[in-house]
Amino acid sequence: MSLIDLKGILTPMTALKQIGKQPHTINFPDEQKDISPRYRGFHYNDLEQCIGCANCATICMNEAIDMVALADIEGQPGDSGLRPQIDYGRCCYCALCVDVCPSGSLNMTQDFIKVSPDPFDFLMVPGKDNPEGKEKLSFTAGLDTSLNVFDRVPMRELDPEERIKSFAEVFLGYNEEEARIEASRCISCGLCTENCPVHMHIPEYINAIAKGDDEAAIKIIYDNNDLPEMCGKVCTRRCEDVCALQVRGEAIAIRWLKRYATERAENADMIAEIVNPEIREPNQYKVGIIGAGPGGLTAAYYLALRGYNVTVYEASSEPGGMIMYGIPKYRLPYESVQKQVDYMKKVGVKILFNTRVGKDISFDEIYNNNDAIFMAIGLQDAWSLGIEGEEADGVWSAIDFLRKVNSGEKVDIGKRVVVVGGGDVSIDCSRVSRRLGAEVYQSYRRRIQDMPADLEEIEGAEAEGVHIMLQTIPTRVIKDENGKVKGLEYVKAEMISEGGGRPRPKPIEGSETIIECDAVIAAIGQKADYSLLPEHILAKLEMQKNKIVVDDNRQTSIPKLFAGGDAVVIGRNDAISAIADGYMATKAIDAMLMGERVKS
Amino acid sequence: MQENILNQLNKVFKIKGQVKSPLRIKVVADKDIVSSILLYLKAQMGFIHLNHISCVDWIEDNKFELVYIVWHPEQKQTVLVHTFIDRENPVMENIDTIWDQANTYEREMREMFGIEFPGLVGDREFILEDWQEMPPMRRDFDTKRYAQETYETRPGRENARNVRLEIMKRSGEELPDFAKKYSRD
Repeated sequence: MSLIDLKGILTPMTALKQIGKQPHTINFPDEQKDISPRYRGFHYNDLEQCIGCANCATICMNEAIDMVALADIEGQPGDSGLRPQIDYGRCCYCALCVDVCPSGSLNMTQDFIKVSPDPFDFLMVPGKDNPEGKEKLSFTAGLDTSLNVFDRVPMRELDPEERIKSFAEVFLGYNEEEARIEASRCISCGLCTENCPVHMHIPEYINAIAKGDDEAAIKIIYDNNDLPEMCGKVCTRRCEDVCALQVRGEAIAIRWLKRYATERAENADMIAEIVNPEIREPNQYKVGIIGAGPGGLTAAYYLALRGYNVTVYEASSEPGGMIMYGIPKYRLPYESVQKQVDYMKKVGVKILFNTRVGKDISFDEIYNNNDAIFMAIGLQDAWSLGIEGEEADGVWSAIDFLRKVNSGEKVDIGKRVVVVGGGDVSIDCSRVSRRLGAEVYQSYRRRIQDMPADLEEIEGAEAEGVHIMLQTIPTRVIKDENGKVKGLEYVKAEMISEGGGRPRPKPIEGSETIIECDAVIAAIGQKADYSLLPEHILAKLEMQKNKIVVDDNRQTSIPKLFAGGDAVVIGRNDAISAIADGYMATKAIDAMLMGERVKS
Repeated sequence: MQENILNQLNKVFKIKGQVKSPLRIKVVADKDIVSSILLYLKAQMGFIHLNHISCVDWIEDNKFELVYIVWHPEQKQTVLVHTFIDRENPVMENIDTIWDQANTYEREMREMFGIEFPGLVGDREFILEDWQEMPPMRRDFDTKRYAQETYETRPGRENARNVRLEIMKRSGEELPDFAKKYSRD
């Protein structure tokens, strides 16, 4: 043993090698570590953004999510008014509900600590019970990570150069594969059905298409729409405006899917075989229907199915009303309407063509011989432009123009045409004029975003070479010495916002311009012609702004008389609203005649 | 470097791999040679770390796909070895003799997918307790039905509403019986 314990002195010095290294200690006071940015804690739901589609509740395999009504949230079109409530005893924080939320309102937060002796505290309505969660969002579903498919299967269409050569159909329709893919995007929430005037069973038939059962889809479609192929081609499709996927992406192509399904039934016999509707025993009641447009045909079809003796009186030689004479053939071919009407005839609808009420048969005769009357006469008279020189040769009303073209008559509009208006009818006139070989200018008073016409149609018209002149107001039609149209004078307008409402066009003084043209087509709206009604009926019939007042049952102030279509105060002026009128009137007439009191 | 790895694997095992990204190589191999490939990767090529073993249920093809993910710490390369086994009689060679931690993954797959690994040591019950049903990660396992049958509904959930019915009530839509089977559950 040595005198000095060398080891005892040197060993502690080895600690010196730690000099300059990071200490393995923790800070005091203790620092909270950051929670992982994508940590899945309690949910947070933006109650304003949520549309109550229940896709979260449907995907949840633990059935942890319920849809409940909250006191301060009202349902409205495109919003069921219900909101998710989550049972955290069942939730496993898998976040599939976030992945499938179409509106992106449902997210997860970094909050995961909650202590409560009351088990009911763990039944939470995200967003209502944890408003502070908004600041701590963690797991969110962006457009790139969402499990929803936001892009619609594109519709194939003819090339614009090819289109203007003929009246061939522009849109080519989905094939089977495209339809199945598009239908599979649907989340089947059913929000769309509320916005459809006739409340078609949209999620059900789309689901049937997705599952490959086209026949079931056709049967479901015909349950409350007797002209679905027409709707499949030209419907104003308000359903797509409230589609859950439209919030962050493209709405399901509901219209094209309906077209796909109904086109699978190639002729009237096939429709009859597939739909195979239940037809009730004939009863003793007779119903007269005035006008074979979509409203009249719908009432006729569904009343015939309910066993009524139905006769339709139609002034023209073809069925369909405006869908036959008003819609150009490149949107809705003749055969398509004919096929659907042939099917209706099969189930017992009788149509008397070339029978103008008030001329070939009196209204009183129909009124007295039937137990109920449904009148859907539409808007047959055009509003005039109300400007100087509009009596000139070569000034057309849209409705006369389209009727002549659709009837196959020869129409001479010259080389250059000005169409006045901004609705769907005006676009139809422009695109028809292009197909007749004219150079087309379209004059509209307001801006393009104010145009009531379908955006798809406006784009189609522009692709076909229609020149749209925005913010122009026609002031005078210029005639040559023979009284023929030579040109149209218009002024430019500026948009003035006054209080609420959409901005109003105000003419700019001194901006008069003359455009040379051979024809002017005025497409600025139509009004009804009531000359078929006798005095004593007109005296009793309640009217408002030249339209017939009806209640929700489409019953007028004369109990036996029901009305629908464009000439009534409710609904929009489109085919699906007319179909809804016919369908609702059917139910009311059935209830009235079968002894139930409809009006209290 | 990735070329070298692919060439070497091709030379020894006659398999063609593909480069998925600058740091990732995928090879698909027959199940009988998977353990040899893994051992070779570990012992000869420096892929000393087993990241994970994952399983995919391809119910339509009646197959399970197993993916062995191994890593080379110096080259920062990942190799994914894919193999397919029969779904009706799922048996796969045990590789916990190559990597100890494979034991955990294999026990999990045995419980969750019902794949047998002959010679695997460890309790059959791994995460689930008293499990009587089919392995729950198989795609034909109906989770919703299981949740309905197993768990009671707590009080306070009676006010749940069905969105489709709510909208039908509001709009007055009448859904015919033949359409109901196409409604959402």
